[in-house]
Amino acid sequence: MTQSPSLAQRWRGASNLVPALLFLGLFFLAPLIGLLLRGVLEPVPGLGNYEQLFANSAYARVLLNTFSVAGLVTLFSLLLGFPLAWAITLVPRGWGRWILNIVLLSMWTSLLARTYSWLVLLQASGVINKALMAMGIIDQPLEMVHNLTGVVIGMSYIMIPFIVLPLQATMQAIDPMILQAGSICGASPWTNFFRLFLPLCRPGLFSGGLMVFVMSLGYYVTPALLGGAQNMMLPEFIIQQVQSFLNWGLASAGAALLIVITLVLFYFYLKLQPESPVGASNAR
Amino acid sequence: MVLNKRATAVLFAGLLSVTSQALLAAESVNFVSWGGSTQDAQKQAWADPFSKASGITVVQDGPTDYGKLKAMVESGNVQWDVVDVEADFALRAAAEGLLEPLDFKVIDRDKIDPRFVSDHGVGSFFFSFVLGYNEGKLGANKPQDWSALFDTKTFPGKRALYKWPSPGVLELALLADGVAADKLYPLDLDRAFKKLDTIKKDIVWWGGGAQSQQLLASGEASMGQFWNGRIHALQEDGAPVGVSWKQNLVMADILVIPKGSKNKDAAMKFLANASSAKGQADFSNLTAYAPVNVDSVQRLDSTLAPNLPTAYAKDQITLDFAYWAKNGPAIATRWNEWLVK
Repeated sequence: MTQSPSLAQRWRGASNLVPALLFLGLFFLAPLIGLLLRGVLEPVPGLGNYEQLFANSAYARVLLNTFSVAGLVTLFSLLLGFPLAWAITLVPRGWGRWILNIVLLSMWTSLLARTYSWLVLLQASGVINKALMAMGIIDQPLEMVHNLTGVVIGMSYIMIPFIVLPLQATMQAIDPMILQAGSICGASPWTNFFRLFLPLCRPGLFSGGLMVFVMSLGYYVTPALLGGAQNMMLPEFIIQQVQSFLNWGLASAGAALLIVITLVLFYFYLKLQPESPVGASNAR
Repeated sequence: MVLNKRATAVLFAGLLSVTSQALLAAESVNFVSWGGSTQDAQKQAWADPFSKASGITVVQDGPTDYGKLKAMVESGNVQWDVVDVEADFALRAAAEGLLEPLDFKVIDRDKIDPRFVSDHGVGSFFFSFVLGYNEGKLGANKPQDWSALFDTKTFPGKRALYKWPSPGVLELALLADGVAADKLYPLDLDRAFKKLDTIKKDIVWWGGGAQSQQLLASGEASMGQFWNGRIHALQEDGAPVGVSWKQNLVMADILVIPKGSKNKDAAMKFLANASSAKGQADFSNLTAYAPVNVDSVQRLDSTLAPNLPTAYAKDQITLDFAYWAKNGPAIATRWNEWLVK
């Protein structure tokens, strides 16, 4: 157990933070507060917007959609990103860099173009359905788009780099000798993986997972194109209120709800994963 | 003394260039529309000839964003001078005080179809929601009117409908359910949603023109509700796409000037030019959308004219923009409830 540093020690050098804090305060916090205030001030001061939001079961459904999509996307990106990051770490150095470049390249391609390519692949008359039908595996095209499946496929694909990058950095930093030591001490490959490797990857997994989850909560384009209207997520609802109906009060209430729930989740995350998602310090 | 004179001269020259620049800058209009081929056509038919004739530069900007428009007007820093918006929004924005009243001494109101002009907006163009279908998917079986959308036995396949809670979908559901065209408003929402319930699982929603074309041309949807210009473009490209104009539903885009526009006078002149018989006809000939100026019809391309809503006025139903401007937000609440149910 390391002794926790005294308060004075912790705050030493805090004055160096002033420029950064000023910047954040001015360009992030102030507009954010302004935005959130609209939720209680427009169209009339009071909690009318929140009342409207909670009184309507449809919005609860929209919230549920938002979190289940974000959860599923995080799960699938982790399942797919983990082996990919591992492969990049294990293959000879030059190759690893190539694979990493391919991952990065996909990030730099226009989001819209990538989303539309999934549409071409997944739709009823798309490449995948045609191939499966030609092979006689299915007689009816599978419905893989304009529903939850489409959203999860499209978004997981977009989010994988955000898992791979932090995870690969974590894996790169793991000393292979530790694993060797494990097997010398008699651990089976499985034990070695679950008791040594996986716990060592934890910071990467957690920070990647958190990033993907939070980003997914606010995603708009991909769900709008690949999802059906019945899978409406909160961002789409907010955009509808902001752009079509100029109902900024209700939109702001929706945004506030999203922020509060995200912060609550973040709190639980910190409880589970004491290390900060950005650094290795044990400050809580 | 000499130096002094020189200094004065330099100062003068400087001032002169500053003021002339300011004058030049005043003679420009920021035009905002939806991008794509529509805005290209607006540039070609309106902006370029207008600049040539008047010397007023037209800066193209976009896409239209109602949220941005409101934010600009509220903050007092209005960057947009002329904005292409949907008809129901034009009325709603006017009611919220976001728009400049138009100067009908500059713009010739008498020539504009009264459906598409108000105190705060003049028509940009109008178009129809039509019943489009993929001939390859439906074969010899040709759907006639909106009720075909709800007959999944005779016409199998997905239905492509416009995804926003805006004029169109609810009206066509009511028409299909047997409501008379003149009894549509006020909309019977319960009845409309009940009708839509019968095909809810067969609907794919489109949010933009390109997406709608992709759905229909690929056969992902066998039929649906489309903007007439998009169907025309598909047919021009040789896609096996058919269209029924029965009960075509008229919707319009309106040109408005945000309150506090810095180039109001130039913007009025631009609107006068865009809504003129020539401006409207030129734009229609480029896009297959219909002119709002009643004198433009005779100037239309003779091969194109039969493909415009102006040729199907008989079986046409104009959507009630004013009704939607007032009830839109409330309808949207019901709409969202129905969607996620």
